[in-house]
Amino acid sequence: MIEVRNVTRRFDGVVALADASFEVRPGEIVALLGPNGAGKTTASRIIGGILAPSEGDVLVDGISVRVDPNGVRARCGFVTDQPSLYDRMPLLEYLAFFARLYDVSSPDHRAVELAKLLGLDDVLAKRLGAFSRGMRQKVAIARALVHDPPVLLLDEPATALDPEMAQTLRSFIVSLRARHRAILLTTHDLDEAQRIADRVVVLYKGRVIRIGATSEIRAGGKPSYLLAFAGEASAARDALSRIGIEAQPAASEDGLAALRFATDDPRRTNGAALRALLDAGIEVVTLAAEERSLEDAYLAILAEARQ
Amino acid sequence: MKWWLIAWREIRWEVFLDRASLLRTAIFVVIPIFFVFGNRGLPGGQAGEATIVALALQSVFFPSLAGVSLIAATFTAEKENGTLVPLLAAPIRDFDIVLGKLIGMVAPVLAACAVTLAAAYALASYRYGAERIAHTLTPQLIYALLVLSLLYLVTTGSVTMIVAARVRSSRAAQQLAGLVIAISAAVFGGLGVVASQLADGWALVAVGVLLVFFDVGALEIARRVWQRGEVIGRI
Repeated sequence: MIEVRNVTRRFDGVVALADASFEVRPGEIVALLGPNGAGKTTASRIIGGILAPSEGDVLVDGISVRVDPNGVRARCGFVTDQPSLYDRMPLLEYLAFFARLYDVSSPDHRAVELAKLLGLDDVLAKRLGAFSRGMRQKVAIARALVHDPPVLLLDEPATALDPEMAQTLRSFIVSLRARHRAILLTTHDLDEAQRIADRVVVLYKGRVIRIGATSEIRAGGKPSYLLAFAGEASAARDALSRIGIEAQPAASEDGLAALRFATDDPRRTNGAALRALLDAGIEVVTLAAEERSLEDAYLAILAEARQ
Repeated sequence: MKWWLIAWREIRWEVFLDRASLLRTAIFVVIPIFFVFGNRGLPGGQAGEATIVALALQSVFFPSLAGVSLIAATFTAEKENGTLVPLLAAPIRDFDIVLGKLIGMVAPVLAACAVTLAAAYALASYRYGAERIAHTLTPQLIYALLVLSLLYLVTTGSVTMIVAARVRSSRAAQQLAGLVIAISAAVFGGLGVVASQLADGWALVAVGVLLVFFDVGALEIARRVWQRGEVIGRI
């Protein structure tokens, strides 16, 4: 549905996006991650036909953003971190205005339908300037959905929303995935990305440095293991050190001590570790694989990129 | 016709609901009427006719000044509020956005010009005699004055849009609008005086045609200066 092909974008000679390529398929949520200034917003704006690429091309639903930017815009719904509404307009008029811009056949009907969908039907006649932050973000989402686009570009949609509202928004985004929308989610909220993204694209200094399924990205790198035991942590570390395992202290629970170590070969290392600890008189309670969070994986990817 | 959607939105929701712009326009509408009211008497002959024409010219010119200020504010206000991004994301040509915004500002101001001229005409007829005013302000002259105010509005509006596209804040745009108003008034006045002395006044028609071409060119320049990348970068 979205194909980004070797896209480069420069602003006054500064490269904001460099030879970026990735795709988003129908019924898929792809999280676009990266530090500030990595080119995430530029990428989503190019995909949405708001900005033209300096080089390369983007195909949305088979339409080139270079050849037919209006065709691309007609197929994309765009939500930014700031709702950016016309404060003097009432909700119904606002949504109907955008419905007309997108050539929707029954603008007023569509506006009412969307307001109902997002729980805003009781404030249709109210001016947008009087809306709360959460309500304004809902309006921005309704505006993006007004033409029922096959592609949704969400740029920090949950910024400044309270946790309950953010949860509601997440559920809504997931429901859109079920309706075969291709969704590109630009976010700094790695917890949100971990929960709903099928795949992840990591940008750093305008370049794509990692693409993969969320589960693959989380599983990348050395698997790490957590040991919980009764006894002295220093004695346990010494015992592991003697067989070449460098363990680090970890947060302990239930009065037990804990150590964390990473290994490429858990079959060999874990058995050896257990034997070494038992030989040293340490009472091992559990040895469990640690699941890396997307945040840990992302930080590791960035650290690697910086090196 | 999407420019019309944008223009109508500007007229209905921005111009008529913006108290500051309404007040500013109202002041510029009242000033020329006050001039008619405050003018104690008219000399006879050509001097009197010239005074009547000057009063009528002021009646359309003053509200136009408010229009230039409105146009300067429209783009920068959208940039400041970030409301341009949803417009840029919609399937509309850039030219439609520029044209829609210009017409959305020009149309209500032109209506204000017409209302001011009508009020000034009625007041002048009451004070100096209906026959004398009707003799001087012929329908052709009134039509010419309204066309002139339209040309002035579109020309200065287009130039103001080019300038406003380059600045960050509404305040800076308003200051630049003042500069545009002063320069354009001098250029308009100068051109008008020179052209009226040439070829029995036909040069004025040529100036009008040239201005139309200039306006189309200025709008295209406004669109190009107002590049998406530029606007997005500034937002």
